Amino acid sequence: MTVVLRAATDQGLLALQRQLRALAPDIALVTNGDQALERVTPDARPPRLVGADVMEGSVMRARRVFGDHEAAFAAFLDGTQTSRVVAYVDGTPIVHGTVAAVVRMRRNRRLTTWHRPIVRRRLYACLRAFTPEQVRALHALGLEVVDTTPASQEPALHPFILRDEAVHRVQEDREEAERELAERWCHHEREPLFIDGGISGSDKVAVSACTVGVVKSHRTLYAEGDALQTIFGLRSGERSSVFRVTSPKRIPVASWYLRLRDPLGYDPMWGLVRVEIACPAHIDADSVGPTADRVSLWILAEATPLALPDGRWDKMVYGIRDCEEFLHAVT
Amino acid sequence: MTTAALTPLGRVVATERRPNTPHEFHFWTSLDSPVGVGTIVRVEGKYTINGQITRVYGVVVEGFSYSDLQSPLHDVLGHDGSPASASLASTERAEIRLYTAAVLRQLPDEPLQPVPLGDVHLADDADIAVALRMDGYLADGARTGIPIGVYHAGGTDAPIYLDADFLIGPEAAHLNITGVSGLATKTSAIEWILASLFTHFPEQKGSIAAVCFNVKGPDLCFLDQPGEIDERDRALYEKCGVSPAPFGNVQYFAPYKSDGVSLNTLRSNEALLDNVTALTWGLREVLQYAEVLLNKDDVDAKADALIDFIRERIVDRDFHDELVLPGKRYRVRSFADLEQWFKDLLVALEHRGNESWRTHHIATIRKVRNRLSNISTRCAGLVTDDGNVGDLPFGSFQDRTVYVIDVASLEEDAQDLVFARVVTKLREHLEKRDLGVKHVVVFVDELNKYAPSDGQDTYVRKMLLDLAERGRYLGLVLFSAQQFRSQVHRRVVGNSGTALYGRMDADELATPGYSVLSPAVKTKLATLEKGQLMVRHPHFTQPIFVRFPRPAIMRGRDGAERYPQAQDVTLEAALLRSLRPLDPTLTLNWIQDVVVLHEEEDVIRARNATLRERPSDVRRFFKAQLASRVPTTPVTPRPMVTPIRSAPADDPYGP
Repeated sequence: MTVVLRAATDQGLLALQRQLRALAPDIALVTNGDQALERVTPDARPPRLVGADVMEGSVMRARRVFGDHEAAFAAFLDGTQTSRVVAYVDGTPIVHGTVAAVVRMRRNRRLTTWHRPIVRRRLYACLRAFTPEQVRALHALGLEVVDTTPASQEPALHPFILRDEAVHRVQEDREEAERELAERWCHHEREPLFIDGGISGSDKVAVSACTVGVVKSHRTLYAEGDALQTIFGLRSGERSSVFRVTSPKRIPVASWYLRLRDPLGYDPMWGLVRVEIACPAHIDADSVGPTADRVSLWILAEATPLALPDGRWDKMVYGIRDCEEFLHAVT
Repeated sequence: MTTAALTPLGRVVATERRPNTPHEFHFWTSLDSPVGVGTIVRVEGKYTINGQITRVYGVVVEGFSYSDLQSPLHDVLGHDGSPASASLASTERAEIRLYTAAVLRQLPDEPLQPVPLGDVHLADDADIAVALRMDGYLADGARTGIPIGVYHAGGTDAPIYLDADFLIGPEAAHLNITGVSGLATKTSAIEWILASLFTHFPEQKGSIAAVCFNVKGPDLCFLDQPGEIDERDRALYEKCGVSPAPFGNVQYFAPYKSDGVSLNTLRSNEALLDNVTALTWGLREVLQYAEVLLNKDDVDAKADALIDFIRERIVDRDFHDELVLPGKRYRVRSFADLEQWFKDLLVALEHRGNESWRTHHIATIRKVRNRLSNISTRCAGLVTDDGNVGDLPFGSFQDRTVYVIDVASLEEDAQDLVFARVVTKLREHLEKRDLGVKHVVVFVDELNKYAPSDGQDTYVRKMLLDLAERGRYLGLVLFSAQQFRSQVHRRVVGNSGTALYGRMDADELATPGYSVLSPAVKTKLATLEKGQLMVRHPHFTQPIFVRFPRPAIMRGRDGAERYPQAQDVTLEAALLRSLRPLDPTLTLNWIQDVVVLHEEEDVIRARNATLRERPSDVRRFFKAQLASRVPTTPVTPRPMVTPIRSAPADDPYGP
């Protein structure tokens, strides 16, 4: 019996499955799927290069960040998600997703929770594939049910497509939770907030002077040609020129690459993060550069302590690891 | 209930790898919580069992601290191998303080369940009374609590009480304290406990006295003299309800040195002699315990039979043997008398050419004579040739009085003799209920010497075993101390209901007897400060750490400096010193005038008699003792007279 071995969340999952079986005995429960879907669902977005609109100077170049590292961030924000298939109904998965987000505030070099963290649990399913009785049974479970029916009108879809769709909806919910907390911070606080990921998703956060987004994944690289070589050639403590990141669905932000650790012996992305801050209202090369330097020094100050034993410790700061550990404990 | 007791300082935590049990649980605290090894905590459960919310009391026995690192290497890497850079880190790593506590008590007592998850609070005074089951004997009408010290943790200072029924009997009895020399404060602890016992021993349990054997240095020589204590000690005294004062009633007993004149004790300063009594025994007192002084090789069955014969038929009895010792009558009262009897007997037997006397072989008689006569030499100062006795006041012991017997300067044999006889006499009188008090505490230091776990069986060890196993029924209680508990006979320490531990030696802690203690408790024991003890008592399910005050008694070292030992003096000066406490008007001139014409041994005999009788008129009594002995004049042999021949030389019926 593995019930004892599972965390509290898993025990809740089992209770949910029992409840589901009571409501719909014909539903095939998945009792042997311990692994979260996030681990089995690959990121479907293709890696790509996007040309950068350089704001600082005319070309992308490496710039050494001079000055003392300063621990200026007052808090760190991160979110987590976990999704598991609880049952299949005629091949259509019912996914249980948990999203959570937290701001961990730093006081006297120790981290504590700011306000209440967000923890949400939902069921995700393509309701089109279910009978009305089955949908009623799902709603009777007491959890919010999210319809993940894809836009495609095909009568039948591969269960993995439906499963991936559910995972993407969970991801959206996670981003929403993060956004919600970030906006709350911007409303109440003025001190700098370190956000794990980009800030351009929220029109409030993206223009706030107190938020700094730090992106660890680089499936999209904002450089082409020589600029790309410049970024790959960044050494520890160096940053790239500031450039503007724009997207039709997102708010433009100012961004730059920053090397946290020496990449010698590692891949070109080792210790490389992309920083996002609010875009200056007027393009001013004289002000955006010093701002990028100052913020870079803040981020470099977070290089210790290492986020070990997390495997992404080269790019992850300890405050973000602390957020993840906290959320792992409460979800 | 105090604010500290209301505010949780931790939470019980349990995992599959580290589950809670009915006798052990784990909890975590914040980094600044006042919890440490030995702290008593209370767990508030969430559920009711038999209509009562579960409440668990525990004492911390182990502590852990760790961070989210998986390997120390990660920390080294994170700081580029430079410890100094650790302080520059913007954030401190998450750190946990995890403690393991042993359950002291669960409420309700039944059913016995694993400790539930719940808030952990620092125990307050009331909690500690419940946790240690002291509430049973501290309740009104049943107060048998004897304060042993104060438990201190966080803001809690709670007196810890032993149950007199389990310390003095009859339920359990005896106390044993162990720890390294110098740091474990064994003697101080005993002095403090005796003071507490004398203050709090319940009236309904009757009277109590203590007999302490001072076996080394001046340790117990100044129990009646005030010592220096600080404010912290005073606070402990007040908390425990004990007056910070030296013992009010102390009687000292010490043998003489081999000269028979000076007391063989470090408490021989003239200013302190008023309560010092000479301890001298004669033949009758010693012969009963000859076994103590004679080893197995000496006392075989034949010798034993002769000693029994002497004890039963010779000592203190009119004895004559017309066949071997014609015309001679003996009443043996002293070693000198006995020696004379042996001498006459052996001369007679040799003269007659007899090989044996009354089934005793002449060689056995010679051997017994040799061994017994030797006793007064080996125990000179304690055992007197002349049969004079100075003894403890068996039959008139007084309540709350300490009787100190200073045997520190005696030979080992003599120490054994004192120990054996005193304890046996105490036992005899307690059996007959005529000692004067109902309970007696006997304090013996260096127990590993008197009751070792190995080596041959000695009279003293047998007696200690008997005392440990049966003494509590009589009211005879053993308080013992030693450096190494593992080297003391198991039955002696095993029968000690209460065990105290001061600073311990690491090697000693590695012995099997301490395997029940957690590594953290052992470490704490090995680093205990002076004035701290770990207590095990029948009511306490786990050892408890307490702090006790320094005794308000002059330390032996200080006493020896302030009251230096009296120098050896002339016979007259020694007489003055010993008799003046009986009559302060005595002068050296008067004594010199009185004794000038007398032999030294007569003078000593007169002094002993005076000290024994303690007459109202010392001068008259002392002089009378000397006057009663008429100096002997040498007897000149009468000239031999040739008998008148009245019958023929060959007359077969002639004389």
